[in-house]
Amino acid sequence: MQQRGKLMAPNYNLEILAIIAIAALCIVFLYTSSAMKNAGFVGTDDIAAAKIHGSSGNSSEEIQPLIPQWIPPSAEIESTLFALQAAIGGMIIGGAFGYWIGQKKKV
Amino acid sequence: MHIMEGFLSPQWCIIWWFIALPCVLYGIYRLKQVTNADREALPLLGVTGGFIFFLSSLKVPTPFGSTTHPTGTGLSAICFGPWITCIVCAIVLLFQALFLAHGGLSTLGANTVSMGIIGPFVGYIIYRLLKNTPVSIYTTVFLVTACADVSTYIVTSFQLALGAVHPVTGDVVSSFISYLGIFALTQLPIAIAEGIVLALVFKYIIQLKPDILIRMKIFSEERINAAKREADGP
Repeated sequence: MQQRGKLMAPNYNLEILAIIAIAALCIVFLYTSSAMKNAGFVGTDDIAAAKIHGSSGNSSEEIQPLIPQWIPPSAEIESTLFALQAAIGGMIIGGAFGYWIGQKKKV
Repeated sequence: MHIMEGFLSPQWCIIWWFIALPCVLYGIYRLKQVTNADREALPLLGVTGGFIFFLSSLKVPTPFGSTTHPTGTGLSAICFGPWITCIVCAIVLLFQALFLAHGGLSTLGANTVSMGIIGPFVGYIIYRLLKNTPVSIYTTVFLVTACADVSTYIVTSFQLALGAVHPVTGDVVSSFISYLGIFALTQLPIAIAEGIVLALVFKYIIQLKPDILIRMKIFSEERINAAKREADGP
């Protein structure tokens, strides 16, 4: 890469920023998990659900689904299904980028 | 941001379904138009949709001792607009309702409205406002993505305040503020990180396939070339 006789170095500012952002989230997680002894890291959905359950003034069993729903039988199976969702996304992204790289090489 | 099955009253479930359904149907019509006009839009749809699938499955810890997930809708809102983004979100939310019990079928309309319609719409408005300004493309992508993410959670708070089966407080405003504290505040750091990551993804799209972005008039040729030069270095 050369422009006006000068060597051009690729600009990695966004890559550096992305690494800093992800590292910051990791550091905050490590700090929070050590500083907040009762931090359960449950989903915000569950916190909102607990608030609604709490405000009912009765047992949490009171809220019944309007449409019957299959619930993953264990946390492990739920994690597997989340991983499957991420994998589907990853495969589609990889396929599209691979297609573009292949096209670029052909030219 | 998922509203769980049974957490909204039946009348609110129906209202949100009535809002979501025509948007999804119009999204299908727009998708046919876009793909018939240019088959090369399909890999771009794959990348933007793939990121919604991928990012919305990641549970990221927040500084408040909870976890939440990005939405990933900003990129799709920029490239395809809110209507087509709405279809991808509806598919993701249906997958999560059927197989993960995150969200439900009765609340699918409400969740589609927050994540698939209003969030991307807010992002799309910001994109349209910044599209022809000197603001860098990467800053635009960052702002669109972060705002689409946070606004999704604001809408969820509003939906719960309006129609939760057991209202947290007597009035909608204080319930809304209460849910906002759970959803929107925790989402801010995640939205910033998501904005940076998707700006980086957009840089790779510009480097690999700038012509599709120009053909689809997502940004002007001059701006895409300027962004490519910016990415390639001084």
